[in-house]
Amino acid sequence: MKSISLYTDRKSVLHSLDPINKLYYIAFAIFIPIILPSIEISLACVALSFTLLISGKVFTKTMPAFGVVLFTLLTVILIQGLFRPGNATILFQAGPFTMYREGLLYASILSLRVINIVSSFMILVLTTSPSDLVDSLVRKGMSPRIGYVISSVFQIIPEMMAAMETITDAQRARGMETEGNLRVRIRAFFPLLGPVVLGSLINTKERAMALEVRGFNAKSPKTYLLDQKQYRFSTVIQWGILFVIGCAIVWRLAS
Amino acid sequence: MKKIIVENLKYKYPLTESLALDNLSFEVEQGEFIGIIGANASGKSTLCQSIVGLVPHFYKGAYGGTVIVDGLKVMDHAVSDIALKVGIVFQNPFNQVTGSKLTVLEEIAFGLENIGVPQTEMLERIETVLELLNIAPYRERHPFDLSGGQMQRMAIASIIAMKPNIIVLDEPTSQLDPEGAEEVFQAIHRLSEQGITVIMVEHKMEKIAHYCNRVMLLQKGKMIDFDTPEKIFSRDDLETYGVTAPVYTRVCKALDLKIPGTDYYPVTLEQASRVLGGKIK
Amino acid sequence: MKKQSMWSMRLSTASLVLIPVAVGINYIGKLIVGLLKLPLWLDSIGTVLASILAGPIIGALSGAINNVIYGLTVDTISFVYGITSIAIGLAVGILFYKGMISSWSKAAVAGLIVGLVATIVSTPLNVGFWGGQTGNVWGDALFATILSNTHSTWLASLLDELVVDVPDKLVVVLVSFGLYKGLPRNIVQVYNSDNKVETLD
Repeated sequence: MKSISLYTDRKSVLHSLDPINKLYYIAFAIFIPIILPSIEISLACVALSFTLLISGKVFTKTMPAFGVVLFTLLTVILIQGLFRPGNATILFQAGPFTMYREGLLYASILSLRVINIVSSFMILVLTTSPSDLVDSLVRKGMSPRIGYVISSVFQIIPEMMAAMETITDAQRARGMETEGNLRVRIRAFFPLLGPVVLGSLINTKERAMALEVRGFNAKSPKTYLLDQKQYRFSTVIQWGILFVIGCAIVWRLAS
Repeated sequence: MKKIIVENLKYKYPLTESLALDNLSFEVEQGEFIGIIGANASGKSTLCQSIVGLVPHFYKGAYGGTVIVDGLKVMDHAVSDIALKVGIVFQNPFNQVTGSKLTVLEEIAFGLENIGVPQTEMLERIETVLELLNIAPYRERHPFDLSGGQMQRMAIASIIAMKPNIIVLDEPTSQLDPEGAEEVFQAIHRLSEQGITVIMVEHKMEKIAHYCNRVMLLQKGKMIDFDTPEKIFSRDDLETYGVTAPVYTRVCKALDLKIPGTDYYPVTLEQASRVLGGKIK
Repeated sequence: MKKQSMWSMRLSTASLVLIPVAVGINYIGKLIVGLLKLPLWLDSIGTVLASILAGPIIGALSGAINNVIYGLTVDTISFVYGITSIAIGLAVGILFYKGMISSWSKAAVAGLIVGLVATIVSTPLNVGFWGGQTGNVWGDALFATILSNTHSTWLASLLDELVVDVPDKLVVVLVSFGLYKGLPRNIVQVYNSDNKVETLD
């Protein structure tokens, strides 16, 4: 089955860590630059995330995710560099446009912030299978019903996409145009969306009944078929991260 | 021992005017194999769902009378409690896959995890149902990567693993190819031989005649008849209820050959060939 | 048939199973927009439909889980905009419950309100993460123009989001209302968890 998950199965230390640790790391990567706002600290965080991604053998897999933000970041750099209120120091001029140092610096900080967040999330996303993440969270106390919902999204979306493709082919075979002027394309929207929505809602009713007769709402404590995955160093890593964040706060307050 | 006791059961879906089930009363004994037949919208699925408690608990609506399943009054218990007594399998195998599990093994375990079966017992139960439903070779497959027949057997296995005494099957083979359907029928037959009480809605009358001890004929929510397949399929007014008798019955009826010593026509291949064989000799 | 509070936290199985489908419809909407090259996002139809069918809580949950999943699979920053999705789910659920999405004209007004709510919630996020931009080419062109003329990041950002979000949410609410009206009543009924079983005895 086609998967929407970006999880990349490799052998690495990162892959063998508890998904919860990676959530701690995301918190670390987001809060440290907020507590200690300097370009150096942000750069250090990005460098650390990049190192971890390389050690997890998944660095090249981050490219699509960075691709998504890249174009917007370029326009941010352009617009802030040219028009940011408070721009004063001219860097260079190109025709009628003037590029300023302040705007560019601000845009760099924004870009660094985005890159930092994306890279820390990529560690989680690329080295953790969704089912392991959900399993860890449910065993930590998240509602199994919410766990079910998240797991099933990963399976239902490919299923709905397949239904969507079938319907697209069928509608095209019946002469529906999906190209041309805007009016033609707008007219194609409902015939494509309607059947998928109706079909999936009908399925939803049956699936809900099938779940209920399999004890989905049972009050008894849940048991597990699979043993809890044994992760190493979890306590050390989690306390270590909390310790560093604590140190950063103390540093900020002291200086 | 009586497994199912239904008294004056009435039911109306929300926002509808007419009764989907209209004053049904009947009883089912332990180990019986019951067939439910009738035209579309005669109340077959609604009756199935009333035995497992989805009617009324899932739909709400208006309800009257009582259904007692293995000593449990359906109206007063949650679906998850009733599920320990009676399981149900629906038409579409696809919609019965939870969509949250990665292997057949885990899929079957879903219900057992929910009702808190200890791990070692869970593994034993799963092994048993994998063998019983003949799907052991696919245990590590992704649930959606099975064929329709395999998926439906997985759905049955998932229910049987919860060890109900009764299983309700609502057109379990209507969406399967002939080969898949046959696999499922054989699996159901094995369950029946194990002593499980089976209630089955099915359009293939030859199968109903072959497997069932008794057949219930429904029309517009009312029970028209509930008797042996021979009696039901020998009714002259069968067609008016949207039911066509098994091909063997129709042939013997045309030839006016009844089962010796009775007033009824044969309903299975065996009965028919015995009657016909007798004639030909 | 009297309705119970729309804030009932007793989430029925049907409502919970609706959430992944809502997320799926959001994805499909986005997919069709890409296929037909339409000039809007239309990626919250599922969230809005879930709110209409099952109330603000399920709508908000659908929105939140939608952005979590989208963040995990395509665009990391969409995590942050989960807050906007939650607001959309809540707004639609409340408006529908108050009977303010019961005809096409009312749905249009509701669409504008939802668009405003989304704009108000998203603008601070845009300022914090993108210096005020939305990532939409036309909106960002407007942003640049206003920024260079007024020197107000907030005003520019607000208008950038407004011109993109309000038309989008207007169409999303109208499309969702149309889909809702087209659904068979026995499907709609399944999500109405507030009914009690009446007695026929």
